[in-house]
Amino acid sequence: MAYLELKNVHKTFGNVKAVNDFTLDINKGKLVSFLGPSGCGKTTTLRMIAGFEQPDEGTIQLDNEDITIVSPNQRDIGMVFQAYALFPNMSVRQNIAFGLKMKKTPKVEIEKRVDEVLEMVRLKDTAKRYPHQLSGGQQQRIALARALAVRPRVLLLDEPLSALDAEVRVALRGEIRRIQSDLAITTVYVTHDQEEALSISDQVVVMENGVIQQVGTPQEIYRAPQTRFVATFIGTANQFFGKVGGESEVQCSGLSISTRKLSDFTKGQEVVVLVRPELISVNTSQPSADAGNIIEGIVETVTFHGAVTRLGVHMNQQRVVADITVNSAESISLNQTVWLSFKPEVCKVMAVAE
Amino acid sequence: MKINRKSPTAAQKKNRPQVWQIILIAFFIFYMFLPILSTYIFSIATRWDRTIFPEGFTFEFYKEATDASYFTTSLRNSLILSLSTILVSLIIIIPTVYWVNVRLPKAKSILDILMILPFGIPTVVLALALVQVYNGTPIGRSPVLLIGAVFIYSMPFMYRPISNALHSIDALTLTEAGQSLGASTLQVMLKVIIPNIYPGIISGSLLVFATVFAEFTLTKLILGARFKTFPLLLVEYTRINGNIAAAFSVISFTIAWLASLLILWIGKKGQGSSTQAPHAH
Repeated sequence: MAYLELKNVHKTFGNVKAVNDFTLDINKGKLVSFLGPSGCGKTTTLRMIAGFEQPDEGTIQLDNEDITIVSPNQRDIGMVFQAYALFPNMSVRQNIAFGLKMKKTPKVEIEKRVDEVLEMVRLKDTAKRYPHQLSGGQQQRIALARALAVRPRVLLLDEPLSALDAEVRVALRGEIRRIQSDLAITTVYVTHDQEEALSISDQVVVMENGVIQQVGTPQEIYRAPQTRFVATFIGTANQFFGKVGGESEVQCSGLSISTRKLSDFTKGQEVVVLVRPELISVNTSQPSADAGNIIEGIVETVTFHGAVTRLGVHMNQQRVVADITVNSAESISLNQTVWLSFKPEVCKVMAVAE
Repeated sequence: MKINRKSPTAAQKKNRPQVWQIILIAFFIFYMFLPILSTYIFSIATRWDRTIFPEGFTFEFYKEATDASYFTTSLRNSLILSLSTILVSLIIIIPTVYWVNVRLPKAKSILDILMILPFGIPTVVLALALVQVYNGTPIGRSPVLLIGAVFIYSMPFMYRPISNALHSIDALTLTEAGQSLGASTLQVMLKVIIPNIYPGIISGSLLVFATVFAEFTLTKLILGARFKTFPLLLVEYTRINGNIAAAFSVISFTIAWLASLLILWIGKKGQGSSTQAPHAH
């Protein structure tokens, strides 16, 4: 039995179906991310778990208790907001103690717990300060400490790092994961940043237009996307549109791509072949036929991304991107003719809807 | 001539106020303070209607003013009226504005219009209408009705600063943060929202105090001689003795000043050591 269960949850705002038939089981102690572009319904779903929104249909159960209509302050669910939402009139200590005071925790216990969570977020020396005297990253850590102090049953994080600098963002997401695993607290993390979701989650829920596209571990989501949306939203994927031409072959305009066996498709069916840029090799001379699919093209763009360099290669009417390591990038210049090659096994074939 | 000296002085001149600006500001200050200053001087002048400067000075009028039969009563009535109006305003307006901000943002425009209405209704009309409507009821022609009337009349002065203060904090997110920590809406309002809109509450209270303490028309038309407030006494004395009336005015100014300082002081204390700073990043 899962710890947190959402069953057939629907939510409509005006004419917009924000969340459509959302069903998900979250196991105790896991960190689950809701990932998707803005407006995909991830935050609405989170707010329904928190109790700030009511589902139009469906139920939400926590630890075998139906909490669908329980008011937010009775749910025992902690939340961290994008805008930190620390109480400006209270010191760090008072902020963290707030939830415990609401629970009428004895004073000695409050002091102990505040020190405990401050230690956890490594900000012990800020106890007497006020929120405006802290940096954004510090404020968000205090907000995390405040949510954890009451020992909630579930921790919700709503784009907690979006307002922070890149460097702080990476450091803090590591901290969040560390604390989450230490406490083994069931956590739902909303983000539009795929890197963030992939790097800290046990499970990722990819959403689009209020509908779950795929649920899986970060590896599954990246390596085995089940829909074209997931494949293109998570990482980058080259898309070749065409028709199934043979048992393991897709006919694209002026190009035939060998794939693995296409047993799920009928001949002539419209499909798209997806290939990740890092799985494409770039050759400066024509490779032998056993390299798999070979495409000749001209280098149009060379973009430095740090660890890799991304090439934009023009072939036929299409542009293909391929990632190469920095070392091999030195031998490649603009307008040069190159041969791109990729094995049939790396091609992901999907039906094109309608 | 002297071209090389011209450019630096031009730059300096830019920051220095021009002569006409100084004159304008001086005129403004003069215009604002002359009546007050004259009132002060008139209240201590023995006679000041035949000469440019007063013929002599005396504190006699203050003695007569404070000895007036209704002095203490009217002062007390005015304070009761002002303070109870502030109390009623706070109790009604804070929860309303908060609720509209957090739960009913669509109603905000209606509330905004509603809060301009008191400016559009002449006080005479308001007073006579209220007297008509409540005539014969237990609160007809009672101080309760007057408090209700001056509350409506002074409502915009309380509403604006509080609404602005609420707008400047992210009331919705703070409320949700409070709720997720187990606080009820009332607890959130008392412990989180009100402390963070303190500056608005203080300036609203000051404005209402100043407005109601000097209120004449509504008091006169609704209660008349039954509930004599300080402005009523003052107006009465303008017909008897101008100097004493001037003394009353000065006392009134002074009380308004002291009350303002008191409210500010209470506000500072209530706000504690925290400061109203925007979110730092």
